[in-house]
Amino acid sequence: MRKKKIITYLAALGFILILNFLLPRLLPGDPFMAIYGEEAALSLSEAAKEELRAKMNLDKSLIAQFKVYLLTLAKGDLGYSYALNQPVRTVISKVLPWTLLLVGSALILSTLIGLILGIESGWRRGTRADRWILLTVVGLSALPNFLIGILLLLFFAVQLGWFPLGGAVTPYSGFTGTAYLLDVFKHLFLPLLALTLAQVPRSYLLTRASVLGNLSYPYVRTAAAKGLKPLQIRYKHVGRNSLLPISASLGVSVGSALAGSLFIEIVFSYPGMGSLIHQAIAQRDYPLLQGILLVIALTVILANLATDILASKIDPRIRKE
Amino acid sequence: MLQINNYHLSYGKKKVLRGIDLVVNKGETLALVGESGAGKTSLGLSIGGLIGRESEPANQAKVQTQGQIIFQGKDILHLSAEELQELRWSKISFVFQNVSNTLNPVLTIWEQVSEPYSSHHLGTRRQAREQARIMLDKVAFPSAKINHYPHQLSGGELQRALIAMALINKPEVLILDEPTASLDPITRQELVQLLSRITKDCAVLLITHDLSVASALSKRTAVLYKGKILEEGPTDKVLQTPHHPYMRALLRSYPHMHSSKDIQSINLNLKEPAEGCVFFPRCTQALPICQTTAPPVLEFKLTVLSANAKEELDFFGQNGSSKVACHRGGIVPYLVVHRLSKSYGPEFSLREVSFMVFEGETVALVGQSGSGKSTIAKLIMGLEKPDQGNILYEEQKTPFPRSQEFLQKVQLIFQNPYDAVSPRLTIKEIIQEPLLIQKIGTQEEKNAKAIQALADVGLPTEDRFLHSYPSSLSGGELQRVAIARALILEPKLLIADEPTSALDALVQAKIIKLLMGLQEQRGLGMLFITHDIALARKIADRILVIQNGEIVEQGLAWEVTSNPKHPFTKQLLAAASVF
Repeated sequence: MRKKKIITYLAALGFILILNFLLPRLLPGDPFMAIYGEEAALSLSEAAKEELRAKMNLDKSLIAQFKVYLLTLAKGDLGYSYALNQPVRTVISKVLPWTLLLVGSALILSTLIGLILGIESGWRRGTRADRWILLTVVGLSALPNFLIGILLLLFFAVQLGWFPLGGAVTPYSGFTGTAYLLDVFKHLFLPLLALTLAQVPRSYLLTRASVLGNLSYPYVRTAAAKGLKPLQIRYKHVGRNSLLPISASLGVSVGSALAGSLFIEIVFSYPGMGSLIHQAIAQRDYPLLQGILLVIALTVILANLATDILASKIDPRIRKE
Repeated sequence: MLQINNYHLSYGKKKVLRGIDLVVNKGETLALVGESGAGKTSLGLSIGGLIGRESEPANQAKVQTQGQIIFQGKDILHLSAEELQELRWSKISFVFQNVSNTLNPVLTIWEQVSEPYSSHHLGTRRQAREQARIMLDKVAFPSAKINHYPHQLSGGELQRALIAMALINKPEVLILDEPTASLDPITRQELVQLLSRITKDCAVLLITHDLSVASALSKRTAVLYKGKILEEGPTDKVLQTPHHPYMRALLRSYPHMHSSKDIQSINLNLKEPAEGCVFFPRCTQALPICQTTAPPVLEFKLTVLSANAKEELDFFGQNGSSKVACHRGGIVPYLVVHRLSKSYGPEFSLREVSFMVFEGETVALVGQSGSGKSTIAKLIMGLEKPDQGNILYEEQKTPFPRSQEFLQKVQLIFQNPYDAVSPRLTIKEIIQEPLLIQKIGTQEEKNAKAIQALADVGLPTEDRFLHSYPSSLSGGELQRVAIARALILEPKLLIADEPTSALDALVQAKIIKLLMGLQEQRGLGMLFITHDIALARKIADRILVIQNGEIVEQGLAWEVTSNPKHPFTKQLLAAASVF
């Protein structure tokens, strides 16, 4: 079982590498332009272009090109952004922490909120409270996340002025220690709220369905017969069992949360991967786009691996295999 | 200790329990038996206040209860949620059936067994764990597996864990809900022994469909059918000589090592009667009142007894020892033969023969030729007059000569078909003769009935056969004609005098199956006279052994054939067919 899992992950990784390698080379037109971007094509001299072509084996077979591609990757070299005049790795590593902070906290928060709402709502299935929660959350899920973001921004930042309009920190403020953390939190709050709200329906609906399924199992009756407090029955017994599908779906959620963060970051001009992608597309900065694609794909794979391990920690039945 | 008074339960329009009265005392085990869907589990859950509460919040409105469940002077049905929570497991606990997920799949056994102890504040978590270990040891749960999860354990181990869990808070009332279902026989046996050892101090309600478990664990048994208790009494009596037709049917359908008669079922009419007796649609001895009025639960009484009253009461159960919900007071003794004597000169006499045949029952009268078997048949049918004694049909004295009604309801099959049918009538005329005498039906109905009767006994139904004469038939065929004639009036009681001794075994098997089938469908009672004790063992509920005009031994068929008391019975058994 373990072995099979590892093979699956390696296969996924290989597939992504191949895709990342092939996509620019399959674009119509000059592969040089697709790989190094418009900026490079315009600014570099013919000699410099030739040198790059030779470096990436662009004049050789695909296999030879792939070899070079893998070798450069292995060195941690993600390419060079001629538009920004910086190595792609440097560019990404500057913005990645912000995105991880935003997406990570949003995932944790939305999962927790979804879990609690799902358990409470499923437990009260068919009652007025359940119907209201369900209606609200489904309504929320119908709103595009950037719209949620724009509404929050207009109300809390523009109208009330409680939060900054954009960015991750106040520029040139020189905050340190607690003041710095507070500043980060203030900037994080609205985008985090928007992304969390956008992610809640997924975990809520999944939890609620899972709770409904679990409630019909005899162990719930056993727990009630044991004279346990309703809170114990709901969270320790039903809750723990309802956690399984959530934890299993967390890997998928990472992908969707990352995708969601692209729009949110743009709305709040949050300096993360989303803004970076936006910028890279606008400038046709292909090397940067490829690097981002690869990093995001790797992140999703890693997240899936983590949730697999998490699921086996939660469910002893998986662990046994 | 636990008293249930006129408890009704319904989910919306569906009635689950209809007026349950039960008492379970400390140190006593009451078995509640019945089919699935009878409401057994609902009753058990009601006692824990578990109907439509935490586990079914949205359905709470649909649950309607009536009556009382009194425990320690308080009505469980009117306790608050907190009071119930306090009561559960510390006073009333359950051993649930080990279906999948009865235990939480993601918590260890140790955690789940110790949980009630700490959550009822009987001790710290550490003490709870210690207590759980002691209880698990007590039920012989393998200590190496204490930290296992449910999916890692066998059915028997899980059931042991469930028992340990039920006992950890030392409850006063224990509800065992199918504690041994789905276990293999050897594990079941071990668990039954364990349960009987460790439940001594509790008031136990044992819910089961397994009669052998009820027999092993309980002193009293109640039979539940469609939410109504139909019979309640001492377990050994209920399982030996049940008084309600439903309990008898349950018993007959349950194969066990103390039964010799073939397993039988009952009408499968499962229609839910709107009013009247819940068992009415399946009952074979129903009266018009059964359709309109629910029967009260009354003490069982044998109102008519044949001569040996004391023995009979010992056998069938003392008056008042059990209760039956039946307008007819339980299974009706159709035929009561009371101290019947008849002598033909000094060589032969029948001396004070007494016995009963109940509705739907087969009683085999076994003995040698010349022992008076056929004389008894003739006396019952009124073909001869007894010197002394009475014959009662449906608890009424029978006039002599017999009434037309008696002769419709009681039919006789003779040993020799050539003596029994007129050689001058066609087969059709022979079979239709009883209908003619009783003036039943138009000619077309008579024809249809005749054809059905012939088909039932496996004879051809073509015109050519119908118009042939007895002389053209073999002995076996003619006997089947005689049987068809006896059955055409749909009798309630059949006196069959060696009806199959002239037949091949294959035909005999067919006829016997037919008769047993009729018993199942219509409650046909049978006095089956035979010299073949091996046959008697397979078809009879009870066996009477007759020697020289005297009944020398009687009892349940399996008991008489496996543990004979009288030397003559032993002799008969020694001479019975074996190969």
